Amino acid sequence: MGTSAQEEMNKFWAKNTRLNRPMSPHISIYRWSVPMAMSITHRGTGVALSGGISVFAVAALVLPGSFPHYLDLIHSLSFGPALITLSKFALSFPVAYHTFNGIRHLVWDAGKGLKIPEVYGSGYTVIALTLLTSLALTAL
Amino acid sequence: MAALVRIGSVCRGPAVPSLLFRSAPLIRPLAARKKDQDYPYFCTAKIHATPSNYAAAGSKAASLHWTGERIVSIALLGLGPVAYFYPGPVMDYSLAAVLTLHGHWGLGQVVTDYVHGDAKIKLANTGLFLLSAVTFAGLCYFNYHDVGICKAVALLWSK
Repeated sequence: MGTSAQEEMNKFWAKNTRLNRPMSPHISIYRWSVPMAMSITHRGTGVALSGGISVFAVAALVLPGSFPHYLDLIHSLSFGPALITLSKFALSFPVAYHTFNGIRHLVWDAGKGLKIPEVYGSGYTVIALTLLTSLALTAL
Repeated sequence: MAALVRIGSVCRGPAVPSLLFRSAPLIRPLAARKKDQDYPYFCTAKIHATPSNYAAAGSKAASLHWTGERIVSIALLGLGPVAYFYPGPVMDYSLAAVLTLHGHWGLGQVVTDYVHGDAKIKLANTGLFLLSAVTFAGLCYFNYHDVGICKAVALLWSK
């Protein structure tokens, strides 16, 4: 019986580590493209949102007060409208981007929109929708 | 087995994309396949962590996992507007479950991409599992003892 894909991948990494091979420059030299940037942003927003939810969940378990209590606490600090607007935008943007780009991913999974012009077109659409939705949510 | 049940129970819902129907024939008891194979077949549904480390060649575990991820993504997409129009405990707990699972599987892909070496992979996935467990517990605690996710978002935005 031959080796599995997992075994082959492990062998690749193990051999390179064993021979102490340096890694070839890749992200430091490759020219950035819109699809490339959007892809890593999708991952970044996903990790950030997940992290935020986990922090919220741990806080719920650890902190003694209730959610309205802490909201009132923040209220009493009287942040300026600029900071409040900025915070709302900072929360809306990752949610909107990850959602719209997520739909784009699902369309790809269905096998559609994979031609390069379509990838760029859907990409710009996602960016536009994200900005509009974030601004709309911020204004709510 | 758990993976098959989960997909089977979700397929009864509305708005199931056509790509899911292709996996419908796979939803048959695994016991029927065992007689056909010569090599040992690991029960991959015991724990869903790192199916690629547990599955033998020819296993559908990775493929089912992929399909499961898409189903959860679509479910989460649907939950958003429903939670907006019908807030309440049912939505709170549904959101807690689907959000945590989507995040857990998403972070799992990040681990798979960047973490290499059997020991490090196992360590990272264990840590991830603990994080997701605590996250789900915390969200459920919040839903039960505090205002709940839907109300919390509404309150936060009314600031």
